[in-house]
Amino acid sequence: MAQPHVIAAPSDAALIAAWQSGDEQAAAELVGRHARALARYLSGAGAPDAEVDDLVQETFIRAFRSVDRFRGQCQFRTWLLTIGGNVLKDYGRRAARRKVVPLDESVRDVAGDPHEQTVASEAEARLAAGLKVLPRLQREVFLLRAQQGLEYQEIAVALATTAGAARVHYHHAVRRLKEMLK
Amino acid sequence: MIDDAKLEALAKRLGTTAAERLDVEKTTREVLAGLREAPPRRRTWIEVHALRIAAALVLLLGGSFVVTRLIPRGGTEIGSHPAHLVADDLSDLTADELRAVLDQFDEMVDSTGVVSDSSDLRELDAQELRAVLRSLEG
Repeated sequence: MAQPHVIAAPSDAALIAAWQSGDEQAAAELVGRHARALARYLSGAGAPDAEVDDLVQETFIRAFRSVDRFRGQCQFRTWLLTIGGNVLKDYGRRAARRKVVPLDESVRDVAGDPHEQTVASEAEARLAAGLKVLPRLQREVFLLRAQQGLEYQEIAVALATTAGAARVHYHHAVRRLKEMLK
Repeated sequence: MIDDAKLEALAKRLGTTAAERLDVEKTTREVLAGLREAPPRRRTWIEVHALRIAAALVLLLGGSFVVTRLIPRGGTEIGSHPAHLVADDLSDLTADELRAVLDQFDEMVDSTGVVSDSSDLRELDAQELRAVLRSLEG
């Protein structure tokens, strides 16, 4: 009896190669795979809710345009998240120039949005506020580790640091966040 | 105080609302449209090196220009006036030009009002010489 033929989903690397050779559908598949994780990461890193969609799009466009620089040193998603961090930083600069409340000084207005009021717990809101005052590297390491579940080695490669340094940043972040949440 | 496990659980929940709200289909369409507007342009090895060489040339030429503008040309700049004087050295003058210079000198001496029987400078006393020099100073 013939076994059912299962078609394995192409790997990220295969999709990247396909995109590089002009396959638009491969890019669409990569967006579908990673868009929500990226949105979660950007939101956790302090992106205003109203801007998350645009920042996700900008991150993907920037990533696809510079995909030649991705050599598989880490997972595609990890690389994408670090680009997202840069996009968010640039957004913060633009916002500051426009005299919008700077990213790191703003605290999400949870009470003002009935939907978020029901969804976000007080602790989550305080964690989000705490993350915004952390140094960028600590915040990114914390999110990549705690929110995205990455290993220190993977984080280190993505952020161009060492696994030991990433571990130290994570512990500093945890210590400060615990102090803010107690 | 909150423990590590609870902190991680909270971190995992962060941004879930934003992720759920994201319209992935729309995001995909927008991303592809953005990529179509300006598709990635891959630079070849030759282009990269040509750009580097061009940048180096620009720096070299720009640096040379700045140096030539800032640093005076020592020999000619400083020596231009003396060179002019040398060109006008008495030995370079023709006989007629020398005569004209001597006539002018005689006029200057006469105009000083120095009373002397001789126009030979070697025969003037100290006071008369000072008067000649003062007239030459203008």
